[in-house]
Amino acid sequence: MSKPIEFKAGTLPAMSAVIRELDNVRLSDSMHTMLGGLGEFFAGEATVIDLTQLVKVPDRADWVGLLSLLRRYGLQPIAVRQTPEHLIDSARKAGLAVLSSDTGRLTGERAVTAPTAAPVPAPAATAVAAKSEPAQASLDMTPPMTNASTMIIERPLRSGQQIYAKGGDVVILGGVSNGAEVIADGSIHCYGPLRGRALAGAQGDLKARILTTSFAPELVSIAGVYRTFERGIAANLAGKPAHAVLRASTAGQQTLNIETLQLD
Amino acid sequence: MTTRIVVVTSGKGGVGKTTSSASFASGLALRGFKTAVIDFDVGLRNLDLIMGCERRVVYDFVNVISGDANLHQALIKDKHCENLFVLPASQTRDKDALSEEGVEKVINDLKHMGFDYIVCDSPAGIEHGAIMALTFADEAIVVTNPEVSSIRDSDRILGILQSKSRRARDGQEPVKEHLLITRYSAKRVEEGEMLSYKDVQELLRVPLIGVIPESESVLQASNAGTPVIHTKDEEAADAYQDVVARFLGEERELRFVNFEKPGLFKRLFGG
Repeated sequence: MSKPIEFKAGTLPAMSAVIRELDNVRLSDSMHTMLGGLGEFFAGEATVIDLTQLVKVPDRADWVGLLSLLRRYGLQPIAVRQTPEHLIDSARKAGLAVLSSDTGRLTGERAVTAPTAAPVPAPAATAVAAKSEPAQASLDMTPPMTNASTMIIERPLRSGQQIYAKGGDVVILGGVSNGAEVIADGSIHCYGPLRGRALAGAQGDLKARILTTSFAPELVSIAGVYRTFERGIAANLAGKPAHAVLRASTAGQQTLNIETLQLD
Repeated sequence: MTTRIVVVTSGKGGVGKTTSSASFASGLALRGFKTAVIDFDVGLRNLDLIMGCERRVVYDFVNVISGDANLHQALIKDKHCENLFVLPASQTRDKDALSEEGVEKVINDLKHMGFDYIVCDSPAGIEHGAIMALTFADEAIVVTNPEVSSIRDSDRILGILQSKSRRARDGQEPVKEHLLITRYSAKRVEEGEMLSYKDVQELLRVPLIGVIPESESVLQASNAGTPVIHTKDEEAADAYQDVVARFLGEERELRFVNFEKPGLFKRLFGG
């Protein structure tokens, strides 16, 4: 007869939210800028709050506020990692599991940073791996995407519709209407008029691009560097094949360039 | 033939959905198809006025759904054509009275009664009533005025059609889309005051089924309770005849889309 409950050790993939300032107002502003005020940006991923890079340790933390902030964007916080001693109790009270970076079980978080890089190893092996590369993986904003799959959208993306190609590129075969939004961790390839909002490199990939056969968007963004077109799009680009790409300027800053594409 | 369900929808209000539903359904019936036209605008009720059967409404769509009446009692036979039946909306109930199961049952009953076409006249907006009207559609006629906000709303409803319809949810062949442009003024397009039908089609990327010219007689016909398609020698009526023909697979060249300057004779003696 089967037992009504069983306990098994396991690893689960989770998102890691690396928080450098434990200040909900600043975090809220920053997330708003980064994610463009999109509610439910994430899709309920389990999330570990990572405090290993905390710049200044506050006296107290508003965990409840932080949790609701993360949830607002569709994240499901489950644990906190490297919690300062005096915040541990309050974190537990807020319902978070408290993990420490060198003794804790970090298997979940390991699986996050490189979701497709390797088959999930046995817990013991993972613990070793975690030790040898402490927190380094989560520093990297652009995890290597090995077999990241490309999302293909065969219908026009209509006003009010939104798609998110997680972990890879998106190819849209029918165009993107005004008022529609396409987001990808990788690049956006649009065969047809691109009239809505396009956000590539949503996780910070500076090499992502936005390519279209007919350039007419409301907004383009690559790794958070965005441009709107309130005064219209330059005549040499409007409705023409073009791509948006980040290029490092002499000052070392990334600027968003929009360049025409020669298709024939 | 199997019953085809056609939703007439737009997103935006006041663009001519009900007028188009009435004329389109009448056109199908005039061609000999047994046709039912259902008013989904529960709470407002316009279709029966445009069809001129408002005085004969005893039972309505919601009565049938809630089991207070059967379809035979509620269907009103059109006074202009033999094969056309109207299922009016209720004015006293709210939109939530339309349950998906209820709507499905009514549509299935109509299928069993041997209807060739069921035309669903959608309310404006993207709320429950509009969703119910498009849920069971095989084809959709998206009514759009040559104007940006109407185009944007049509685009929105097209997206909803491809995600919330039964066909989309069950992963079947997608709902067939048709673009119908109404209240078109070739003169204003010529003068650069209105988007051309080509611009509209370019923005929506849906096959065009017709362009209905802006016309006084549409309003007159609505007030008289006779769908405009019955009016003789009238551009809007002819344009709706073309829509029905194209819907049934016939080739028809677009008419009434080019502005011709009135000649001297017309200017002197009036049109």
